[in-house]
Amino acid sequence: MISDLRSGSAPAELTGDVCVVGTGPAGITLALELSKKGRSVVLLEGGGASYEADSQSLYRGSVIGHDNIDVANSRLRQFGGTSGHWTGMCAPLDPLDFEPRTDVAHHGWPITREDLNPFYARAQSYLDLGPFKYDFADWQAMLPGKALPLDPAKVFTDIYQQSPPTRFAEKFDEAIKTDPRIDCWLHANLTDIVLKDGSDAVQRVVVSTLDGRRTSVKAKTFVVACGGIENARILLNCRNQRPAGIGNQNDLVGRYYTDHMTIETSTILFNEGVDTAIYPEEIDVEGARLAIGLKVNPDLVKQLHLNNNSAFLVAQYDKDVYNDDFRNYGWIGFTTMVKTFSRGHLPDRFAEHYCDVIDDFGAVATGVYRHAVRKVAPPSRAAAFKLRQDAEQSPNPDSRVTLIADKDPLGFNRVALDWRVTSEDLLKLRRTHEVIGAAIGAAGLGRMQLGISETPDLEMAFSAYHHMGTTRMHADPKQGVVDADCRVHSVSNLYMAGSSTFTTGGCANPTLTVTTLAIRLADHLAVAV
Amino acid sequence: MGTLTRRALLGSVGAVALGGLAYGGSRIGCTFVPRNHPDFFSLLDVVPDDAVARRIGRNALTLASISDNLPALSASLTEQPLIRQAIEESCPTARMNLVQDQCALDFAEMKTVVVDGWVLSETEASLCAARVLGSASA
Ligand SMILES: Cc1cc2nc3c(=O)[nH]c(=O)nc-3n(C[C@H](O)[C@H](O)[C@H](O)COP(=O)(O)OP(=O)(O)OC[C@H]3O[C@@H](n4cnc5c(N)ncnc54)[C@H](O)[C@@H]3O)c2cc1C
Repeated sequence: MISDLRSGSAPAELTGDVCVVGTGPAGITLALELSKKGRSVVLLEGGGASYEADSQSLYRGSVIGHDNIDVANSRLRQFGGTSGHWTGMCAPLDPLDFEPRTDVAHHGWPITREDLNPFYARAQSYLDLGPFKYDFADWQAMLPGKALPLDPAKVFTDIYQQSPPTRFAEKFDEAIKTDPRIDCWLHANLTDIVLKDGSDAVQRVVVSTLDGRRTSVKAKTFVVACGGIENARILLNCRNQRPAGIGNQNDLVGRYYTDHMTIETSTILFNEGVDTAIYPEEIDVEGARLAIGLKVNPDLVKQLHLNNNSAFLVAQYDKDVYNDDFRNYGWIGFTTMVKTFSRGHLPDRFAEHYCDVIDDFGAVATGVYRHAVRKVAPPSRAAAFKLRQDAEQSPNPDSRVTLIADKDPLGFNRVALDWRVTSEDLLKLRRTHEVIGAAIGAAGLGRMQLGISETPDLEMAFSAYHHMGTTRMHADPKQGVVDADCRVHSVSNLYMAGSSTFTTGGCANPTLTVTTLAIRLADHLAVAV
Repeated sequence: MGTLTRRALLGSVGAVALGGLAYGGSRIGCTFVPRNHPDFFSLLDVVPDDAVARRIGRNALTLASISDNLPALSASLTEQPLIRQAIEESCPTARMNLVQDQCALDFAEMKTVVVDGWVLSETEASLCAARVLGSASA
């Protein structure tokens, strides 16, 4: 059932086996999985059923580090969470991402990729993906071209899957409404986590609407699933009984913020006749939509002290009409509206999309024109290819989310995001491109021109809006906020769900792993509760 | 100054004719004699004589890993087995293939340099550099 706390119909206390806070991919997956296992869930959502400006404004904060990032609008505070925004690229983290590495400080999870494999397989359907297959060999026979003949000990062809992208609010609305074990409340903002006196267990959480209606929730176990920035903000703000914030006795909450550096740079010129057909475009095969990139072999990544990366080839054409530089918010708004109208619906956040189109009218007109021309005269051979990636950063305790004095209307201090992008991160990416360039040269396929100089321009890195690491997982409470089960080390019944628990970011987009960890957590809690 | 006698004239013509005959015969004869005269400079013909190659050559010469001394550079290039073979090869296509194979080998061994942002094999960058040095000294 879905109810609204603003209606005034809520009892003074809600109860369930598990209280899950947040209805993004993490919270909804967790609630549905727990229900399947017979557990009752109180599911709390701070926002409404769709976009509301006053709820969204609770996310406002400041950016004090690298500023190609945003905290206010890159996440959505509404039912379904930021899945209303995401673009759907998916891949599991690599085994390497979980390994402790002597050459990269603070690297390594207390779990392995193998531990997650069965949960990854179950997560695929939540995101409307194909089977859990991410090896090129699994798909090869269905593809319209061949992989570049590169030495796999150096560089290999890598598979991502594309979600439609799944909007959790649309897809799971009915399931949650009709689930007898899920008691979902909208406009129910968590405003405090109350520990039992003299104990390390959560007794209840306090929730409030923006107009001051309050209730509290009692459960055996509590899970905070409010996104990579908000998870830390909540723990840091709950200071009534723990002055440094809950789980923050080692000053770790909010630290190790990491993101993927979205960068399109370095150019490959292939020799005449090299078959690149499978790389630049997404490919529909039976049961899945694939995106295909190039990745450096993990042994070489370790040997050369690199970070992980998957690079996708973006075709560059001499004629502008074949280039996609018109793709911005206006174009996204326009295509979203066209797609939704064609299905006979009014798009979500219609006014927002409409105004984005108006603001970027020139780009939208260019896009429409270019698409029309391409239908008549499809492009011939691309002149070159740029590498687009969401590149990994090394874990960095100084990259962090902290609280600032400014408070939101619910009394929570807002956040400052100090995202650090370092020259070292970019130099590792430069070296990664050198390795790809050398592999292409060794195969006699062409040459690469690097786009990152030896004194890198940090401004080239943009946030992928993959907020990770702020309540990182580590077996040692001095090095991480949660343990291998995602439980806050210092609290016996408080768990964190989402990418805040990632110890390293790898280069895979996070939502598949967020969903995977939520399923794993549900299995764990179903036994524990 | 002596006068040009008929005998001297005939003698000279005969000597020239004999010399010519001997030279021509030798040229023909020598084509059957296997010889090994590696010619490093003829290898530089595989480098295109254009602005891009010259620019790469000039910039490669600023790198610490590439010598700016032509004999030293040619010596280091001829140490590479496929380059040695290329020098000895007279067929231009085969020679070009050998150079390309050496470049691929460099790439595979990560013997690369970055010139103007281009990731190049040490061999191709060195050849461009040698061509610049060669034309400067010509
Ligand atoms: C533009 C964009 C593109 C993206 N593209 C991709 C992509 O291609 N692939 C990919 O893997 N990921 C992508 N992402 C990231 C993806 O959206 C997130 O990984 C995912 O949404 C995280 O899910 P979550 O449930 O942890 O958090 P969220 O989706 O952020 O959900 C958090 C929920 O908590 C609620 N909440 C917050 N505070 C409170 C509170 N105090 N009380 C109650 N409820 C609260 C929020 O309203 C929200 O419903 C993208 C993100 C953006 C912004």
